[in-house]
Amino acid sequence: MAYKTFNRKQFDTFSQPMFFGENVNVSRYDTQKYKIFEQLIEKQLSFFWRPEEVDLSNDRKDFAGLPEHEKHIFLSNLKYQTLLDSIQGRSPNVALLPIVSLPELETWIETWSFSETIHSRSYTHIIRNVISDPASVFDDIITNDYITKRAESVTQYYDDLIEAVTYYQNLGEGEHSVNGKTINITLRDLKKKLYLTVASVNVLEAIRFYVSFACSFAFAERATMEGNAKIIKLIARDEALHLTGTQHMMQIWSLGKDDPVMGEIAKECKAEVIEIFREAAIQEKEWAEYLFKDGSMIGLNKDILCQYVEYITNQRLNAIGLEPLFSTRQNPLPWINAWLVSDNVQVAPQEAEISSYLVGAIDSEVSLEDFSDISL
Amino acid sequence: MSALLKNKEFEAASDFQLDGQADQHDEFHLDSPTTEDDTSNHAQTELFLPEYDPESPVDTGQLELKGLEKPIFNLAIEGHKDGLQFHYAHNLLESLEAQGVQIAYQCRDGYCGSCRTDLIEGEVAYLEEPMAWINEGEILPCCCVPKTALKLKLKS
Repeated sequence: MAYKTFNRKQFDTFSQPMFFGENVNVSRYDTQKYKIFEQLIEKQLSFFWRPEEVDLSNDRKDFAGLPEHEKHIFLSNLKYQTLLDSIQGRSPNVALLPIVSLPELETWIETWSFSETIHSRSYTHIIRNVISDPASVFDDIITNDYITKRAESVTQYYDDLIEAVTYYQNLGEGEHSVNGKTINITLRDLKKKLYLTVASVNVLEAIRFYVSFACSFAFAERATMEGNAKIIKLIARDEALHLTGTQHMMQIWSLGKDDPVMGEIAKECKAEVIEIFREAAIQEKEWAEYLFKDGSMIGLNKDILCQYVEYITNQRLNAIGLEPLFSTRQNPLPWINAWLVSDNVQVAPQEAEISSYLVGAIDSEVSLEDFSDISL
Repeated sequence: MSALLKNKEFEAASDFQLDGQADQHDEFHLDSPTTEDDTSNHAQTELFLPEYDPESPVDTGQLELKGLEKPIFNLAIEGHKDGLQFHYAHNLLESLEAQGVQIAYQCRDGYCGSCRTDLIEGEVAYLEEPMAWINEGEILPCCCVPKTALKLKLKS
C-alpha cells in the first residue's frame, strides 16, 4: 500500500487503470495506453514561455493613471489569479502523483503543474512591475475574506483526497482508529474523492480562470495594461490545454473501460458534479459583485460578467456531456474570443517585447576608458 | 576616383586598364575545347520555351485536377440561412465564419474544443489530429474539412 518510488513488480502497463493501479516504475513513453497525454505534454512543451519576455514598462504608467476603483478591480483580479495558480502549481502533484499508474499520465501531471508555476512567476513579474510594494498585494491574499472564502471551496476536494490517500497508504482499506477517531477507508470511496477532485479542477480551469481572464482582457480592450494582457493571453493558452487534459480524464472515466468502478462513480456523481458547477457559478457572481463594488469599468460591469459566468458554465457543462444550468445562450463578451485565440500568440524572439533577446545582443555599457585612445 | 588614379603604385601596374579589357594572353582559353562529334549537343543548344510567359505566370490559386470535381460542398446548419457552402478555406471554421456563421472558438488548433459542433449528416476529414475530446457525432470545425455535403447543428 505504501508508495513506492520505483515499483519493483513486473506488470502489464496496459492493464493498469489511470489511477489506483500499480505505482509507476519506468518512465517510458515508447508504448502508451492513452497517447493523448503524450500529445498534451508535447504541446505544453512547445508552448514554453517566460514572463520576463513581456515588457511591462507601459503597464506601470497605465496603472498609475487608473482611477481608484479600477485599481481595485485590477489588483483583486490579480490576487485571485495568484491564488488559483498557487493551488494549481502544487496540488495536482501532491494529490495525483502518489496514485497515478500510467507513466504518460504521470508526466503530463508534472508538466501541467510545472506550467502553473510559470504562471505564478508571471504574477510576481506583473505585481513587481506595476506597484512599488508587492508585499501589500501578496499579504492580502490570505487575509482578504472574499479571496479566502473561494480558496476554501477550491481546495476542499484536493485536501479531502490527499488526507484519505495518506490513510490508505499507511493503513490500507478498512476501519481504523487514528488519534481516537474512527476512519473508514475503502478504495471505492477514494475513487469517488478522486473523481470529485478532478471535477472541481475542471471547474477551476474552465470557469474560475476564465472569469479572471475576462477582467484582464477588458483592460486591454481599452488599450491599457496591455503587457499584462499579453501575459494573460499566454496563460489562457496553457489553461485551455490543461482543461483538455482534465476533460479527457473525466471522459475516459465515464466510458467505464479504463476502470469500471470509475464508470459507475461518474454516473452516480452526475448531480454532485453539476452542484460543483452551480456553486462555482454562484461564487463567481459574488466575486463580480465585490470587484465592481466601487464602480464598473468601460466595457465590463457586474451584470455582464455574471452573464459571462452563466455562458461559460453552460459551455463547460456541455463539453463533459452535462445539461446546461442557465438560460444564457449568447456570449455577452464576444470580443473575448479575439483575446483568447492562441494562433496569433507571438513567439518569435525578434519581437520587440522579448527584452532578453535584445539585451543580450548588444553591449551598451560605455565607460570613459573606451574613449582613451581617441585624440582630436 | 581621381585620387586613386594619381597614386603612383597604381599607375606602375601597367597591364591594368580600368576602362577596357585586360591585355589578351594567348595561353588563356576561356571557352571550352570543342569535341569532334557536334551532333550530340543539339538537344542542349536548342531552346525549349514554355508556351506561357514565365515572367508573368497566371495564378488562379487553384490546382486544376482533371477528372476531379472542385471541392465545394453544401452546408446546412439548423436554424441558419440556406445556401451555405464550403469553399476553398483552410478549414470548416474559417469557411463558416466567412459566411457569417458565429461559432465559439479559442485555440483554432484542435486542442481546446471550444468549437465543438454536432455533425448530423456527412463526413469530414481532419487535417491534423484533434487533441480536444470529441464525443460521438461531434466534430471540431477548426481543424477539419468536409468530404461530403454536411448537415450541422451548433452547440447551445
